[in-house]
Amino acid sequence: MAGASSHSQEVRPAILDEVNPVDIPRQACVDNNRSFNWITEKICGIIEEKTPTWWWVCFIIACATASFTFIGLGYLVVTGVGVWGLANPVNWGWAIVNFVFWIGIGHAGTLISAILCLLRQKWRTSINRAAEAMTIFAVVCAGLFPVFHVGRVWFALYPGYLFPFPNANGIWPNFRSALLWDVFAVSTYGTVSVLFWYIGLIPDFATVRDRAKTKFRKIAYGIVAMGWRGSNRHWSNYEMLYLILAGLSTPLVLSVHTIVSFDFAISLVPGWHTTIFPPYFVAGAIFSGFGMVITLMLPLRAIYGLQDLITQYHIDCMTKIILATGTMVGYAYGMEFFIAAYGANDFEIFAFVNRAFGNYAWAYWIMISCNVISPQFFWFKSIRENTTLVWVISLFVNVGMWFERFVITVTSLSRDFLPSSWGYYSPTVVDIFTYLGTFGLFSVLFLLFLRFVPLMAMAEIKAVTPQADPHHAHTHKAGSGDYVNN
Amino acid sequence: MADKFGILAKFDTPADIMHAAEKVRDAGFKRWDVITPFPIHGMDGAMGLKRSWVPRFTIVGGTTGFITGMSMIFFTNAFDYKILIGGKPLFSPYFAFPVSYELTILFSAFASIIGMFILNKLPMHYHSALKTEKVAEMSDDKFFLYIESEDPQYDDVKTRSFIEGLHPVEVSDMEK
Amino acid sequence: MSAERDASLPNPTKWLLIGAVGLIISFIGMFVDPRMASFCYLIGMIFTTSITIGMLFLVMIHHIFDAYWSTVIRRQAENFLAALPWMAVLFIPLFLITYLYKQDTLWIWMDLDHELHGHGTVGTDPLYLKKTWWLSETFFWIRAVVCFLAWIYFARTFRRNSFSQDEDGSAEHTYSSRKHAAGGLIVVALTWSMAGFDWIMSLEYHWFSTMFGVWFFANSMRAALAVLVLVAAFLVAKGPLKGIFNTKHLHDLSTLCFAFTVFWAYISFSQYFLIWNGNIPEETFWYNFREEGMWYGVSMFLIFGHFLFPFLFMLQFPLKTKYPAMVFMACWILFMQLFDLIFNILPSLKVHGHTAQLFHQPLGFLWLAASVLGGIGVLLWAYWTSYYKVKIIPIRDPRIGECLNHNH
Repeated sequence: MAGASSHSQEVRPAILDEVNPVDIPRQACVDNNRSFNWITEKICGIIEEKTPTWWWVCFIIACATASFTFIGLGYLVVTGVGVWGLANPVNWGWAIVNFVFWIGIGHAGTLISAILCLLRQKWRTSINRAAEAMTIFAVVCAGLFPVFHVGRVWFALYPGYLFPFPNANGIWPNFRSALLWDVFAVSTYGTVSVLFWYIGLIPDFATVRDRAKTKFRKIAYGIVAMGWRGSNRHWSNYEMLYLILAGLSTPLVLSVHTIVSFDFAISLVPGWHTTIFPPYFVAGAIFSGFGMVITLMLPLRAIYGLQDLITQYHIDCMTKIILATGTMVGYAYGMEFFIAAYGANDFEIFAFVNRAFGNYAWAYWIMISCNVISPQFFWFKSIRENTTLVWVISLFVNVGMWFERFVITVTSLSRDFLPSSWGYYSPTVVDIFTYLGTFGLFSVLFLLFLRFVPLMAMAEIKAVTPQADPHHAHTHKAGSGDYVNN
Repeated sequence: MADKFGILAKFDTPADIMHAAEKVRDAGFKRWDVITPFPIHGMDGAMGLKRSWVPRFTIVGGTTGFITGMSMIFFTNAFDYKILIGGKPLFSPYFAFPVSYELTILFSAFASIIGMFILNKLPMHYHSALKTEKVAEMSDDKFFLYIESEDPQYDDVKTRSFIEGLHPVEVSDMEK
Repeated sequence: MSAERDASLPNPTKWLLIGAVGLIISFIGMFVDPRMASFCYLIGMIFTTSITIGMLFLVMIHHIFDAYWSTVIRRQAENFLAALPWMAVLFIPLFLITYLYKQDTLWIWMDLDHELHGHGTVGTDPLYLKKTWWLSETFFWIRAVVCFLAWIYFARTFRRNSFSQDEDGSAEHTYSSRKHAAGGLIVVALTWSMAGFDWIMSLEYHWFSTMFGVWFFANSMRAALAVLVLVAAFLVAKGPLKGIFNTKHLHDLSTLCFAFTVFWAYISFSQYFLIWNGNIPEETFWYNFREEGMWYGVSMFLIFGHFLFPFLFMLQFPLKTKYPAMVFMACWILFMQLFDLIFNILPSLKVHGHTAQLFHQPLGFLWLAASVLGGIGVLLWAYWTSYYKVKIIPIRDPRIGECLNHNH
């Protein structure tokens, strides 16, 4: 404010009179001039309406699928880790592949909520809530694998497989191990994501509380709304906190997949030990996460009629990010190959030739076609505007990123330094069902989220509409721009 | 009027509430507030609020987290039970960095959130503003401003006419 | 055309003269102390090229994001792009010294008879023999030409689009820039990484790191952002941007400086850490050279001076909005940026099998200063020449209105 007032006293530079911007209108984040009240009604309506039948159908199917995971893990606990397909030389198999896959999925949520917030990308507001929910549920799915791979899970907590407690001999966990860094990274990531999500939810919970018709809803949402009343003195601290959390989550999300990449990169295994791994993993994670965001949001948009809130502009932005990160991943694949050839290390060269033409070539080419080639379709506007095709490509992205982790983990191990111990890894039925079940678990959590939590950040969406700008109202109030209610 | 909390005025648009807030600020009131369904850009300036203090909590939390990480790793692996693994030094800031970094962020996040709650005096489930029947509008699409009766400048009649001079769409009393 | 020159603004010819003096001293150096002076010249040339390439990245990122706040300063970045052809000219002496003096002056692998300390010659080195497909002289120079052609093409396109829009106010120019930015980011990312591999990494051709291209990118971004801060502060102080470029813009620019400080640290730490932790001699030797003698001190100075100090400094909101503080920080970053390049380049120079130490050759400082001055002189000459030819801000840009109102 002080800046603005001192401005007017200065001499106005002459060039400003020549300024005459070309008209390329920005695409609105909310289509059809929807009013504040329309936004509230639309989003609160989703959790206030009677539970729809399709929800129950999906929920039951999801629960049934999730049971695969629990049966698989239960069987593992009572029998032993041998029920998984791990055997020399491939001692890291589907468990870590699934772990990295799910953690990666989560990254888009944090990217949308944190990095795009810092970059002031207004379009994030319609999708950040769901994407953050996706992050948390993905971390839950991811966390199952490292916790259960120890077999005797009760030792995970004490004495410290996963937490810094000394064991019976007084020995502490080894902090030189990347696996322990992972524990800290993932648990910090999970915790901060939940906190960030919850802080974003407080004003929306207050809205739901104020609209609640039944005593039970009033009390339940009242408790979680923390007595929020929309005071501007509160907003002032709240917005600062939100910005700080965005600022903290940005290095956090980068560090999480960096540390996940350290699991591989600090070793000496050919194909794993390469310095580009940290940014390459981060780009891949964001890539896969946006794939999942699109996979989830496009059906929701159709079911709930959210076309005015998730507009073609949002889809454009997301597909372009997929294109950009997919290309970055392609850059990293290229660099790895180039440096393997340039580095003139026989083992390194073999590892990469083997990836492309060896026993797992099929996985490698699935990865390349899904991750590098399929996103290139998003160069074309006509494809970005075809919702069905966008959705199908997003599925390819998900598949491709799972295969990327599979290729990295398994190809290098199955052909290590000693040819006499070479082998071929195949998952067992338990592996497959445990993994498939995590999709059920994820869906169960996501469906619960749809029923009980506002799907979109109402306060934030309202704040990015044109009528929320206090300077906007002067010029447009009298005109045709009266905002429609329905 | 001991049971009167203050006077509440309702506005229709962000621009109206912003101008009203500027006038209340300039009139020198101390105990007053604006209630909006979303943060309005520039309202902090219009109310004359200072930059938030939350970052100070963050710095304290972050520093604590980093020191905790480094000293924990030193204590566990290089002091309490020395283990030599992989030819690596007993302690090095390099391998201690990832964990200390994560703890820096974890502690900063908790400190900032706790800081926000302390500064905002939340959770506070009872407040006069939540008691009005307009509460549903407050978190939906209307904008409110109130001046508390505890304000040193407050006067039942004068303040009310001052508020009416701000051109609100509606003025009402708030119960304690 | 704002042709009339403000007397308080620099005269381009003056910068050309300064540049010429620097370059002449550098060329003299190449006669007196060929290897040291050539390395210093390489440092100076890469330093200035990295600034212009950073500007190119900034312009492309601006277009691809349809950003608005940076519109006000984009024109200055475009002015710097005028220097790219001259950067290509500055590259020519490197070619000349290689063939007029000795082929192993800079890139030792160019001379098959170059003695490797205790390991025979390059021509008999099995590692070299495996790399001949990439490290071939002809291919090397062709790659350099291709890189420069690509950069100059994109630089010219963005400049032409932007300047023509001032004249005719057509939206087509913006669309063209956006399309070129999308393709350009891919092309420039690849060519700039390749330049990093060729010009710096292959100085020590045994060593390799997949991260190196990303480091080179981070490096150029930091340099370009620091220069933009300085230019903005200068133009505000002298008048032309006063009342146009406000503290909010400065804050955004400073925040980008901050972000890339963190990014640079992330990339540099990851590269060092993975090599340190892996502890394989085929990689660690590169860092071992950089712990000999003065280089240990330099590396520590980089950690604290190029990361920690700027990080803590720019973490503070008030400092990011004040010109004196940010001018200081930008100078500091540029200075450290030069150190980072020296750290990556100069230890590859071996004197009797040991890494070169700048302090042992006091004249080295002179060659270094002369080459940096020469590069900067040429850069600023090109900048100011372009500056006087065009308007100070893109007046018909679609986002300029939004950008000028960006002030809470």
